[in-house]
Amino acid sequence: MAPLKSLEQEYSFIDSNFQKFCACRGIFTVEDFLLCDLHSLTVFAEQEPNSETLKQGITQVLSVIDGQHQPWLNGMDLLADTIQNKHILSTGCEGIDMLLGGGLHEGQLTELVGPSSSGKTQVCLQAASNVAKNHMGSVMYLDTCNSFSAQRVACFVGLASNLTLDQAKHKILQNVMNNILCRSVFDIFTMFDVLNQLEFNLRSQKVGNHVRLLIIDSISSLITPILGGNGSQGHALMVSAGYLLKKLAHEYNIAVLLTNHTVGGEGGIPKPALGETWKTIPHVRLLLSRDRGNNICSISIIKHSSMASGKAARFTIYGL
Amino acid sequence: MPISVKRWIDGDETAAEMLARVSTERSVLLLPPPLHRLPLRVGNVVELVGPSPSAKTLILIQAAINMILPNEWNGVHYGGMERSVMFIDLDCRFSILCLSEMLKHRILHSNGSMNKMNQKQKDIDMHNCDARRKPNFPYDEELYSMCMRRFLYVRCYDSFEFLATLKTLHYQLQKEKEVEHSSIHLLMIDSIGAFHWVDRASSFLPLGVTNRSHSVLRFLLDKKTAIILGYKVTREKAGHVKGPWRNWEKPSLQSEFETVVQEIRKLVQVHPMLIIATKATGFGDRTFANDASRRNSVLDTLDTRNVASNTRQLPYQEYMPSVWQSFVTHRVLVQPSGDHCTMVDHENQSLYFSEWLLPSLGFLDKFIVQDGGVLAQVTAST
Repeated sequence: MAPLKSLEQEYSFIDSNFQKFCACRGIFTVEDFLLCDLHSLTVFAEQEPNSETLKQGITQVLSVIDGQHQPWLNGMDLLADTIQNKHILSTGCEGIDMLLGGGLHEGQLTELVGPSSSGKTQVCLQAASNVAKNHMGSVMYLDTCNSFSAQRVACFVGLASNLTLDQAKHKILQNVMNNILCRSVFDIFTMFDVLNQLEFNLRSQKVGNHVRLLIIDSISSLITPILGGNGSQGHALMVSAGYLLKKLAHEYNIAVLLTNHTVGGEGGIPKPALGETWKTIPHVRLLLSRDRGNNICSISIIKHSSMASGKAARFTIYGL
Repeated sequence: MPISVKRWIDGDETAAEMLARVSTERSVLLLPPPLHRLPLRVGNVVELVGPSPSAKTLILIQAAINMILPNEWNGVHYGGMERSVMFIDLDCRFSILCLSEMLKHRILHSNGSMNKMNQKQKDIDMHNCDARRKPNFPYDEELYSMCMRRFLYVRCYDSFEFLATLKTLHYQLQKEKEVEHSSIHLLMIDSIGAFHWVDRASSFLPLGVTNRSHSVLRFLLDKKTAIILGYKVTREKAGHVKGPWRNWEKPSLQSEFETVVQEIRKLVQVHPMLIIATKATGFGDRTFANDASRRNSVLDTLDTRNVASNTRQLPYQEYMPSVWQSFVTHRVLVQPSGDHCTMVDHENQSLYFSEWLLPSLGFLDKFIVQDGGVLAQVTAST
């Protein structure tokens, strides 16, 4: 947050005199102001010769602070925002859409949990192709293990690229492909760079096509390496990543789809990786598993902010 | 004897008068299970502790609905308190659709129960509730929107936003009083430990630490982490550079919560409110055992009162600073029962346990989440 000095130009009462008054009490920044006791500061100000201007300075800093938090909204405003801006994106996979009441919710983080080869990436690719094709929005795909496959996307669109495609179909395929932006990300710092850049672009409205879906496949392979060891930095980075994603999702109406692997829990029963702290991050957690020998997947809700857990569905992943 | 002293000794009301005054001014608030066990009033600070998920946010939403509904409206009894509530969302997972659905469910339920005599009529009404054209009691859009407007919400993405919200809450309350003419009786914080990890990391970064040997790689990683976690170069601009590390500044967890508690305490003095804060646990998890013991040793050095509370064998790992701990007046532990379909007769019901830790009541309550998010206590016989 800003040092008081940087507010000098905009706010007339935060002048050098006021800054000196604050500096005597160890207040140099707006942050310091947040931590100080305003009541006693006002009492101090009253003892000074120019108490009126000092008190006006305090009021001005408070108005700056008031702009630092999200606005207060009442229930009706919130509801209007949700109905107007937070749409539901179909994943193109009927089983999942049925289970989630239509699909992925914009503004929410949905997490797919499952062991290796349980169909997580397939669901991601299918959701990406469906949103790119049917929802007229662009998809940001952060690929952490080189598993993105353009062929698979073409396949889900129903237009496996071969030479027999006619002009019109070729155009559709091109549009879908143009709408999916894939980035290879191999560590959490790069992910922060990419996400901060995305937020900057969204804020300054530089993005050509509205980003509606953000996929990170898989978030756990970025976070697991930084956990453990001594110190809590790993956890701090993990929680920060979670909040950045929630902020992006809510403020810019993006649906976020994450994948997470499973680890052995108590008694060998697999459980989601990333531990208890991460549990509070996603809105929706889905557990994926695939039957041996065929392509039928089952999916069940582990956690949902408004639905009972335990509901399940089955769906099929069609082969190439 | 001077008159002033005599008047002071005489007092100005009898015990009966005082009791009558206090019970109207500080009346017991209607709260859903499991908070109904003890009378809670404005000025109390209740902490709901539990792992995720354990219906904590749901309890908050139901408490909010009890507050925002009127006691009576158009001749129908709703049993609410007709007050505004404030919800500070630190978890950023609140869904307004959830509140809206539960509120509608409660309104329809109250309307329906008035008409229980005529079961047939009720069935028709339930049928028509989507069409919203019921002849006897139409779906009351006015009541609904009035209640929704009494629910005030803010979300915070980091602890600075949280502090900024608290710092300016006084003005917000004043504004609300002028607009709505009803004072706010309930302030909810979901959940109080949300930024714990991010804020605590500051005590682990080598900030201002003298002569610690760090490899270049370690240095770069710490610096990167520090930037991501929001450490800003502040003192340098303010002209107070004391060393290469001094630049990275962030208030410690302790001073942050000292401010949080101080702000809330001052607020409650001017605007009497009940505070309910949720707190996620889960650090007592077996996989975190190593981590927990290490954290303990860290907390030892941070503050000794925590250790005292740890020796009392809490069912979870306490991690909040002691200044917050001592601010809490009531504490309830909620936990999901191992398997959530033990009540087989209804399908969408999960069973939860709750236990009062402060004051310790020494027994477990069971409650279920029914259709529409209604919380109901399960009697011991089941």
